[in-house]
Amino acid sequence: MLSDSVRSEIQALMGQYPQPRSAILPALYAAQRQIGWLPNAALDEIAGLFGVEPMEVYAIAGFYNMFYKAPKGQFHLEICTNVPCMLRGAGDLVAHVQEKLGIKLGETTADGQFSIDHMECLGACATAPMLFARKRQSDWGRYYENLTPERLDALLEELRAFAAADLPAPPMERDPAGPYHHDHHPETNFLLARIDRPASHTLASYQAEGGYAAAAKALSMPPQAVIDTVKQAGVRGRGGAGFPAGVKWGFLPKDVFPRYLVVNCDESEPGTFKDRLIVEYDPHQLLEGILCAAWAIQAHHAFIYVRGEYLFAQQRLQAAIAEAKAAGYLGQGIFGSDFDLEVIVHSGAGAYICGEETALLSSLEGGRGHPRLKPPFPAVAGLYGRPTIVNNVETISHVRHVLEHGADWYRQWGTDRSPGFQLICLSGQVQKPGVYEIPYGLTLRQLIYDLAGGTLDGRPIKSIIPGGLSMPHLLPDKLDTGIDFESIQAAGSMLGSGGVIVICEGESVLDVALRTVGFYREESCGKCTPCREGQGWLEKSLQRIRKGEGVVGDLDNLARFAKYIDQQSFCPFGPASVWGLQSLLRQFRPEFEAHIALSNPDGEKPEIPARPIYRAYTGKPLKNVLD
Amino acid sequence: MSDLITITIDGKEIPAQRGEMLTKAARRAGIEIPVFCGHPKLDPIGACRMCLVEQETPRGRALITACTTPVSEGMVIHYGSEKAVDARQGTLEMILINHPLDCPICDKGGECPLQDHTLAHGPGKSHFWEEKHHKAKNYPLSDLILLDQERCILCWRCIRYLGEWEDKPQLGLFHRGGETVIDKFPDGELDAYTSGSIIDLCPVGALTNRPARFSYRPWELRKTPSICTHCGQGCNLRIDSRDDIVRRHVARENVAVNDEWICDKGRFADDISVSPARLQQPLARIAGQLQPVSWAEALQRVVSGLKGVAERHGPAAIGAIGSAKASNEANYLLGKFMRGVIGSNNLDHREGAALLADPRGLPSLEAARHADLILLMGCDPSEEMPVLATLLKRAAIRQAAAVVIVHPRRIELARYPGHCFQPAPGEEPALFDALTRATLAGRGEPIPAWLAGAAEDAQITAAANALAAAQRPFILYGSDYAWGFGARAIVASLTNWVTAAGHGDRLGFLHAQANSQGAGDMGMLPDFLPGRRPLADAKARGDLEALWQTELPSQPGLTYGGMLASARGRIKALYLLGANPAGEKPADAAALKALDFLVVQELFLTETAQLADVVLPAASYVEGDGTFTNSERRVQRAPQAVKPVGNAAPDWLILTHLARAYAPERAAAWSTTSVAALFAEITQAAPLYAGMTWENLGAGGRQWPWQALSLQRSVQPYKPAALPADPAYPLRLVVGNQLWDDGVVLAASPALAQQGIKAARLHPTDAAALGLHSGDAITLRSRSGSVRTTVHVDDAIKPGTVFLPYSLAGAPAGALFDEYAPRSAVGVG
Repeated sequence: MLSDSVRSEIQALMGQYPQPRSAILPALYAAQRQIGWLPNAALDEIAGLFGVEPMEVYAIAGFYNMFYKAPKGQFHLEICTNVPCMLRGAGDLVAHVQEKLGIKLGETTADGQFSIDHMECLGACATAPMLFARKRQSDWGRYYENLTPERLDALLEELRAFAAADLPAPPMERDPAGPYHHDHHPETNFLLARIDRPASHTLASYQAEGGYAAAAKALSMPPQAVIDTVKQAGVRGRGGAGFPAGVKWGFLPKDVFPRYLVVNCDESEPGTFKDRLIVEYDPHQLLEGILCAAWAIQAHHAFIYVRGEYLFAQQRLQAAIAEAKAAGYLGQGIFGSDFDLEVIVHSGAGAYICGEETALLSSLEGGRGHPRLKPPFPAVAGLYGRPTIVNNVETISHVRHVLEHGADWYRQWGTDRSPGFQLICLSGQVQKPGVYEIPYGLTLRQLIYDLAGGTLDGRPIKSIIPGGLSMPHLLPDKLDTGIDFESIQAAGSMLGSGGVIVICEGESVLDVALRTVGFYREESCGKCTPCREGQGWLEKSLQRIRKGEGVVGDLDNLARFAKYIDQQSFCPFGPASVWGLQSLLRQFRPEFEAHIALSNPDGEKPEIPARPIYRAYTGKPLKNVLD
Repeated sequence: MSDLITITIDGKEIPAQRGEMLTKAARRAGIEIPVFCGHPKLDPIGACRMCLVEQETPRGRALITACTTPVSEGMVIHYGSEKAVDARQGTLEMILINHPLDCPICDKGGECPLQDHTLAHGPGKSHFWEEKHHKAKNYPLSDLILLDQERCILCWRCIRYLGEWEDKPQLGLFHRGGETVIDKFPDGELDAYTSGSIIDLCPVGALTNRPARFSYRPWELRKTPSICTHCGQGCNLRIDSRDDIVRRHVARENVAVNDEWICDKGRFADDISVSPARLQQPLARIAGQLQPVSWAEALQRVVSGLKGVAERHGPAAIGAIGSAKASNEANYLLGKFMRGVIGSNNLDHREGAALLADPRGLPSLEAARHADLILLMGCDPSEEMPVLATLLKRAAIRQAAAVVIVHPRRIELARYPGHCFQPAPGEEPALFDALTRATLAGRGEPIPAWLAGAAEDAQITAAANALAAAQRPFILYGSDYAWGFGARAIVASLTNWVTAAGHGDRLGFLHAQANSQGAGDMGMLPDFLPGRRPLADAKARGDLEALWQTELPSQPGLTYGGMLASARGRIKALYLLGANPAGEKPADAAALKALDFLVVQELFLTETAQLADVVLPAASYVEGDGTFTNSERRVQRAPQAVKPVGNAAPDWLILTHLARAYAPERAAAWSTTSVAALFAEITQAAPLYAGMTWENLGAGGRQWPWQALSLQRSVQPYKPAALPADPAYPLRLVVGNQLWDDGVVLAASPALAQQGIKAARLHPTDAAALGLHSGDAITLRSRSGSVRTTVHVDDAIKPGTVFLPYSLAGAPAGALFDEYAPRSAVGVG
């Protein structure tokens, strides 16, 4: 059922990767572009092209949100309802779009024009509320941000016209074109320094400001010297764990080649949207960092794993790579040396867990995004079982600046253990949400009140999530905590991916807890028992409490099962999924108790659902039917 | 560095092997750490989180999964600490959140690790009010296996088995998070030949044996350790019965033979003892009709029938055909009766004298695991020995063993890197000559003149070099190349190649039948006595005469083919035990009709039994004690598991009574009353079996050594055999074994009726030229006859050939055999 052009496109994709199987996700995209969704016959055909069992392709398609197992409308609208958007009116937006289109989430309009779904964090928290629109049988998709009911009505009209009149597609860049709100500390303006320049994403613009000089310098150094510089600068990973990049590079086993560099641009932690800014408006900065890092570890293949929804970012990256290749910054014989580097942009397909480095590698190899056992760590046995370094986009971008200015320059900011500066994503109920480039050590209060203009309507702060949705909440008494790995940890939370979400008084902790747990329940990969079974149970319990059927004992059970998920899950996703809930239960227990007491004053026990009746199968053998 | 280290669990120091998993070390010390996803035969994944223990680390105690943690020197583990116990309790509670707890109607109830671990480690109290997930129940993965997604605890054992052992990942996870389910591809079903292993592996009742389910509670079962008798591997299994009816087969571990796997034929074809078609009473031809008679009358008729022939025509007019499916005891006693009581060496079986098999079978099945190269010639392990095929796949994947195949079909194992040659029938010797020549050239040895003209090409050179360079090649040839016209040239030429490569002593033969090796070992051959001792060897005869207290004829007897061909001539009476020539080759039915007297000892009223003067109902192998010798000379016990059906009796008992009735004066030599005693006699008659006893065969059997018979091999010229083209019959027949055929075993198992493709196979180009599509009815004809069957178009078939599996209902390959037998010329239409 695949067209000849799609079949040959898939064959070509297979040739782009060291191992053809990696092209399964791109192949699924190609098939979906042709057909509009992924019927089993298409999966079977793709399996044939790859020489794998149809089950393998079926299992992969079933893992990722962006692959449709049933037809969708002409436009698929996914409205973000995660906490940062929820705090800025996503609920009203959902109500409005449902009313406007006369359908519920998960449904398609009778004319087949629109399907709507809720979506959990698309990396646009500073421009909340927002939605992601995709057009059937095309590569077109884009974000609509800072939405109001009026703007939503307008965009529905725009899309209808786009479909009906065969107009050229609306641009995929955000509207108004240009980067979203960002600011910086007076001293630290490096990563985002160029993004407001006209055509900042082009090579011409990048070269005009001395682009690729740092890489040229790096390639003139011995690889070990590059590693040592990064180690001395103390660049810490910006993906969440904060592990020093240079130290990680040092874990590569000696003389084992090939090695791979994988750049993690699966920016999916709710409240995090900094990598997108770099990739969309200064992609050459990242490419230069990649060149430095690849040289340091002597990798000839670098992969940028970009989350599937970042379509515009992918477009920008592809264009930048083509430019850089044409200019001799990538490809073969870079800077006249004998160093070769191919950079491949690999699109994810809607799975938060793929931000975990081993899950990312499983996905990049053409599988479901399940995390793997560690050890062996990726540095020893990563992509295709080879030594692999996985670093975040921002981390790699810092490398470029460290190489330009040196380790000492970098260490003039920040603290001894958290040197340098960082992009902080500020979202939630503040005046000026956005990305802030600040030196480590600036306090939360300075960030929120000095740089971002304080809270919405001056409301008092109820709690702050300092490092993305998965981190424990801090109460406002911690506002004077410095934003660096150690200080935030001392205050009882973690800096994580640098996503600061501000929640003001008046918001219900139950709603925040439910949204948080709901997100992780949906994104759990399903591999290990505590995370798979526990999240669903936590969510059901919270929903029951909200319905007014809670009893006080529920809170202890929630805490007990959160503890199990925290301490005994397979990968870091498990603990990260309950830290938020645990901190809310700890810090706001009276509010939970008050809700239970008000909504179920007699402490009535909930009804235990009746078991369904199971009948034994007694007939003759059947072929492939559910009996 | 010593491999023996010490670790501490709960304050107790225990010895451990460096690098083994903590679960294994703990088990040896008597601490059974509970697991679900962990399994000794599968790669660790650490998914279920059941085996949590605390480990002392420099940063304090940490919870770790014991099933994924290799032990290291000085490791300190807390298994019984409060935190570890609580953690395991938590995991178990979470596993039970969505488990339906329908234990009262679950087949696994009573042998369920989830039940057992809940008792041992569970909280004893439920904290859950929320509704459980609802997923698919009674969901067929195939005709043989049902999945209950609600019971499933997602341990991935089934997924991993099919991936890691079968290399057919036909089960996988679908969706994610709490909605995750195990599923197959909707438009397909499991067709791996050992798919049933996943039932044994499932730690809950999620995967159930579809034919067997709801027919027992596990605690009611009588469990008899036994073996499988469907092929020459001799996989170890357990026969579970209730009320003297076999309820199921489950795999039994024997790492040397079958690891812990059995194939689906071995698992599901267990209905043979309850088949309504079984013979339950002796039959005798009275007034031209077979009618039930008593055992006494039946034996009396056999005695007088055979005596009459012996008196009229002499003992050489009597012959017997044994069976490679029958036990050692049956074949031994049939030979003892014929040679010692009747006085005739007319003794053979279908896979006997005419089959150019190595008398030692193959060196070692376990060697397949360690192979660095796999060479398969004229055999297809996937169809003929499916569990061996899984071991070979694993060697191909995990040890990067190159797979070199010479076969008229592109067999399943050809999907692994290596070399696949598909010579047409008749072209094999030339190919092997070319490989021999390339091997000699590669080793810088002189090329004999008779090899000088052999072809040269890059692939031949590469394959020759690969074999010559291999350190631990696993080399098999099989029956497809070992009998019929031209087989001598094929076997001689392939032996030359393997010998030239320096691996002559590793060349083994794949026996397709359960006891081919044993039947030969027992002397079920016209010119060999028990223990593979030549009939011509006077000392061997003397030893046997002393043991049997009789005189033995020294003149070699007729072969299987010779006896059937002489049935209209000097052979007047035949005694057939488990042999069905009339069903395999219709022409032989006519020959059998010409006999004065025919006795058939059988399970079923076969085409041959229908022609008999007396039919003796035999017990199946599960109904009587016996031993079988597999392809690697491993003698294994198959003890009685259930009572024989009706009045059927074990072969050895029938033959003992017959001999005593035939020659009461020799009753002393026929006085054994148990298989154990009989086996003791066999070990005296067959020196290869010396030292074995019924008891010391134990659970895993005993092998007689490969070196006990040594064969000197060298590169030798041989007599070529040409297959002339015949324009009237433009295709060449290729025959072979197929796992799912219509043989007696499968015909008796309705659950298996739909398995496999039962058709003749043609290459697409031949099919197109004939205007045929898969499923069309066709007639295959040769100079000797014709058969009607359906056609299946398959690009694995060599163009110009038609593949016809043995034992297709209504389409016996033997009907087509001309003078070139398995390589006959055939046409379509």
